[in-house]
Amino acid sequence: MWYPDWPLRRPDAPPDNPAQAVGEDNRVLAINALAANAGIRHGMRRGEAEAICPTVFTIASDPAIEAVRFEPVAQAIEELIPTIELAAPGLVFAPIAGAVKYYGGEAALVNLVAKEIDSVAGPGFKIGLAAGPFAAQRAAELAAPVYIVEDDASFLASLDVAALGSEELAATFRWLGITTLGALAELPRDALTTRFGPLGTQAHRLARGLDRAPQSRVIPPDLDVEERFSPPLENLEQAAFISRAMAHRLVSELRSHGAAPHRVEVAAEAADGTMRVRTWRNRDPFDEASLSERVRWQLCAWLDSARFRSGPGIRGGVVRLRIAPADVSDRGRQLALTQDARSVAEAERAFIQTQAIVGLDGVVQARPKGGRTPGDRVAWYRWGEPPPEVGDDAPWPGRIPDPTPTLVPAEAPVLEVEWDAGMPTRVRLGSRWVEVISWAGPWRDIGRWWEGIGPCDRYQLVTSAGAFLCEVREGKAYLAGVYD
Amino acid sequence: MVAQIWTAFEPATAGDTGVELDNLLHLEPGRIIGLVGHPGFGLTRVGLSLLAAQAGRNSIAYLDVRGWLCPVAAWESGVDPDQLVIVRCNDPVRWGRALTALLEGVGWIYAEIPRGVKEAQLRRIASLVRSRRSSLILRPVQGDLPSGVAFLRLQAREVEWEGTAAGHGRLTIRSISFTASGKATRGMSRQIDLEDNGTDALRVVSGLAVAPPGRAAG
Repeated sequence: MWYPDWPLRRPDAPPDNPAQAVGEDNRVLAINALAANAGIRHGMRRGEAEAICPTVFTIASDPAIEAVRFEPVAQAIEELIPTIELAAPGLVFAPIAGAVKYYGGEAALVNLVAKEIDSVAGPGFKIGLAAGPFAAQRAAELAAPVYIVEDDASFLASLDVAALGSEELAATFRWLGITTLGALAELPRDALTTRFGPLGTQAHRLARGLDRAPQSRVIPPDLDVEERFSPPLENLEQAAFISRAMAHRLVSELRSHGAAPHRVEVAAEAADGTMRVRTWRNRDPFDEASLSERVRWQLCAWLDSARFRSGPGIRGGVVRLRIAPADVSDRGRQLALTQDARSVAEAERAFIQTQAIVGLDGVVQARPKGGRTPGDRVAWYRWGEPPPEVGDDAPWPGRIPDPTPTLVPAEAPVLEVEWDAGMPTRVRLGSRWVEVISWAGPWRDIGRWWEGIGPCDRYQLVTSAGAFLCEVREGKAYLAGVYD
Repeated sequence: MVAQIWTAFEPATAGDTGVELDNLLHLEPGRIIGLVGHPGFGLTRVGLSLLAAQAGRNSIAYLDVRGWLCPVAAWESGVDPDQLVIVRCNDPVRWGRALTALLEGVGWIYAEIPRGVKEAQLRRIASLVRSRRSSLILRPVQGDLPSGVAFLRLQAREVEWEGTAAGHGRLTIRSISFTASGKATRGMSRQIDLEDNGTDALRVVSGLAVAPPGRAAG
């Protein structure tokens, strides 16, 4: 069951304009009917979509809020089909074999589900029925609003290779003359594996309607992670911390067995004893970041729906939370040869605990990027989050030469410097003046006058107490760095 | 780039060898190196070079009290960007808890010490370092370390730079003079001179003379 425009179902999305929602990768996640008519498609880059339809209104997707809003829809489906799996806000998978028997057929079940979700969230949904999740999702994409696949093999055979979800792979297949999944399925699997590696094997399996490779590792039991809370967990920020810590424990434990989860069951017990359970699935193995996001979204959805009485939710806070792998594969993360899984897991656990003490913004990493000053040459990001995509292949005239000062104040404090005919003679360090023994510079930066940033000169000053990077702007000197 | 440390001197007293000095400037599991001195003497770069040389591909945590550490300098010292994790905390109580948490899982740590941390806490941390077999560098932002906390205490005494003149050139080579003391030097004070070209090389140029008493630093 899929609401293609779920990220757009929010008050600030214009109903009478073409509108699109984009993800963190700046690709189109959702479009409304007007945008679809204009030629915008899911997966397009934002720039490409805006070139096709310059008047399209673009919104940044916020999965946490979308998950909270989708919770009533998920609960409505759960009333009819007990075991549902969320792939993303707006996209639900459900094994229906039992429900079909109970409700007397596929058509009857589909009608019931359609009526139920329409009453909760309105029209705009699509429902695809097939033997496997990949085929069901492709059917939902074509549904208007329902598509029941009689035979997965023949349905998939007619689909374009773009249905695999990888532009690059699809382009290569087309270049080789393979344009449909049927043509792909007829090729020998070994040939695809030799040419494309695991991606080729996966593509072949999908084309034949075999969604995932059977897991070949024996996974020890009792890999659930559980936490109890006293007082009950009600705070959304606490939920974020807990989600990350528990996701890390589960993934690390599975990783040490060389396995990774594709489906995870999140179960929460309320203070009054009520249990809420939800399964989340992912096409690729969950890592700590993606799993902790799902757990956080789910906790927020349950806590919010109870708070605003939009659904049963979790009333009175969470007293027990359990995360259990429901399905694993042997695609655990590959470590470098010089790392061992246990050390990496221990270090990550230590950083998570440290984050809980100093806050998420208190544990950071950095990547090099281009710039003139030491501060400009650093792209900061929180530990545990993906690093920013930055490059440094541009020349930077006027850049301070190496070595870089080890200590760079976030806001450069004023530095008292005495000058004689433009040459620095003394510097005040603390309560005493020290003589400038030698110096180099200035390295002139003309600034960005169009942004109100004036020019400045940078000097390296050497004293008996060490060397300092001094910046002079509008006649005033500042401490820009300490060579410590 | 990995920091290289080598010796180039003659023994000043019988029985001393270059190997001893190499072993002196070595971060051993379960031991603390203390760096004492004002910002500007090159202590941060010394600490980062030692960590880069010995941590391998393992994570390195830098507990940054002032929030001033520039990672570019760490990368120049040989630390990989993916290795370095910076923890910012200047509150003495949370600092102690954060360092304790780090010691439970991270084997290579450089920790600035904020004002207000009690001696008893530092001794507890020293005990934890020994039991966890971590390698820790401690650097008070002000003042000194209590005696006995650091296995090796390096106090900066003098620093000189080459490469700059009256408005010409640029900083190139730094010479730093330290007094080494602690159990690592068997209770004697020794003078160590290091040369640092600011990037990947840390060179011990002499280190066997016993430091004369009463000489002021910087």
